[in-house]
Amino acid sequence: MTLQIKREESAAPPSARYTLWKRLKRECFGYLLLLPSLLVILGLNLYPTVSGILTSLTNRSLIDPTKSQFVGFDNFARLFGEPVFRISFLHSLELTIAAVFLQVLLGLILAHLLIQRVPGIQLFRGVAMVTWVLPIIASVVMWTFLTLPNYGFFNIVIRQAGFGGWARNWFGDQTYAFLLVLIMHLWRNVPFYAVAFMAAMQAIPGELYEASRMDGASNWQQFVHITLPNLRYIILVMVVLHVTFTFNNFDFVYLSTGGGPVTATEVLPTYIYKQAWNGYALGYASAGGVVMLVVLVILVSVCRRLIGGFTEE
Amino acid sequence: MKTRRLVRLVVIYGGLMLFYVFLLLPICWLVLSSFRNTDSIQSGRLLPVWSELTGNNYVDAFHISNFPVFLRNSFLIATTVMLLVVFLGSLGAYSLSRFQLRGKHYFMLAALLPQFFPYVLVLIPFYVLMSNLGLVDSHIGLILTHTSITLPFALWMLTGYFKAIPQELDQAALIDGCSRLGVLFRIIYPVAIPGLVVAGFFAFVVSWGDYLFVSILSQSNETQTLPIGLQAFMQSLQVRWGLITAGTVIAIVPTVLFFAVVQRRLVAGLTAGAVK
Repeated sequence: MTLQIKREESAAPPSARYTLWKRLKRECFGYLLLLPSLLVILGLNLYPTVSGILTSLTNRSLIDPTKSQFVGFDNFARLFGEPVFRISFLHSLELTIAAVFLQVLLGLILAHLLIQRVPGIQLFRGVAMVTWVLPIIASVVMWTFLTLPNYGFFNIVIRQAGFGGWARNWFGDQTYAFLLVLIMHLWRNVPFYAVAFMAAMQAIPGELYEASRMDGASNWQQFVHITLPNLRYIILVMVVLHVTFTFNNFDFVYLSTGGGPVTATEVLPTYIYKQAWNGYALGYASAGGVVMLVVLVILVSVCRRLIGGFTEE
Repeated sequence: MKTRRLVRLVVIYGGLMLFYVFLLLPICWLVLSSFRNTDSIQSGRLLPVWSELTGNNYVDAFHISNFPVFLRNSFLIATTVMLLVVFLGSLGAYSLSRFQLRGKHYFMLAALLPQFFPYVLVLIPFYVLMSNLGLVDSHIGLILTHTSITLPFALWMLTGYFKAIPQELDQAALIDGCSRLGVLFRIIYPVAIPGLVVAGFFAFVVSWGDYLFVSILSQSNETQTLPIGLQAFMQSLQVRWGLITAGTVIAIVPTVLFFAVVQRRLVAGLTAGAVK
């Protein structure tokens, strides 16, 4: 923009009123272009969120959503007194922390493999993110089908290897169901981490490695002192993105186990969903959503501290 | 030296194999099973014999209940959302990248914020809002919903993308008598195609795969999409896994094809330039 203004001025110095009028006109046009996005974001994103927060202070019910009474913080008190809520809360935290930690770790390893120049590597790089683009219901069908009690892939292999006693209904098992949910998260997102890390690794100047090599640095030292510090920004981006995704994710659990068996895989999104749409308690469910929002803000700022804090220039 | 190189290759390919068996096994098993008949799937053997292979699952999938309707709805909604998000997003991004607007930074922040809100919380007032507008169980309602959850990110991404396009291009076109909108469509669009495609892809994939919003805002077969259909399949057709897997394969083909096209640009787009 500065370029154009300069050119106008040098051509024929216009009166101050003229430029002001032109600037105003242009600014109006700019707002006009932004208007649809503005309406969608204010009307369909921010308004529902604020409204959701307000709903958490009422006893609104799905039976007649137009009526509601202010009940203060009653919903929150009830929430924390509810054992299933506390279980879901813990599960959500465990799942998010475990998934994101393992994703970073496995993502780094896979990125390290993908960055090697070996024949056929382009093919590996190319297909990597395919798991990420699949609808979650499709991933759930795949994993359910792999783990079916009678003729799922895993049980067939286990039986043929002679360990028939180990075969089980994996998603119906209180211990393994949660693990499978975690595995599905890893399965979907690890390649995304890997490809993102790889792209960032490729941007690190090769001279850094050469110089350190001459100083006698080992591969591991190079990784710790050159690669990791250069990746910290992308790591932060991916961690924040996925803490949000994992903590908010409803589909994986709801579609695969529905939160069961019993409450073995219940997480906050599924608990809240059921309270709202099966239990009709919109106000109570909103309170759960507000708790999620607060926890998420805390989680994200902790991640920023952990990853960004000590390396800030 | 030669053995060291060999060891290196073995380690690399070995590691890659471990990862890719994990990543691709579920997909391969799904596709394989979708071509097996019921007896073959239930035989307890890993591999089918030739005579057990069949394409009937795909034929049958189209005949059960409302599968074609779900497919049509998914296409209709996801494509509209994609076009709408790219169009509105590029208008907004053009404005944010080219005009000096007051409050721009607040707006950018406000646009990013909703990405962190729990959908299960947003869904509740969303439902109330949609029922007030009379848009529950309508295609328009779902299109609006999916647009609203994908537009902020697309806008954010495209703004970064447009900023990287030199403004000298705009200036030259303006001096030649091009209108401001003309600049967007004739100058910026052609240069920004990779970014527009990634934004469109993102919108398409999110809309195509969404279960949560559709499960509440859609209440009849007329508006339900594939994810709802597949879930219903899974529950009602328990033993007919040939059909379920065939239906799932049909549901993933469009996203996989689309992915093949955008694959190279995807990561740079999704991380909104954070890679560089």
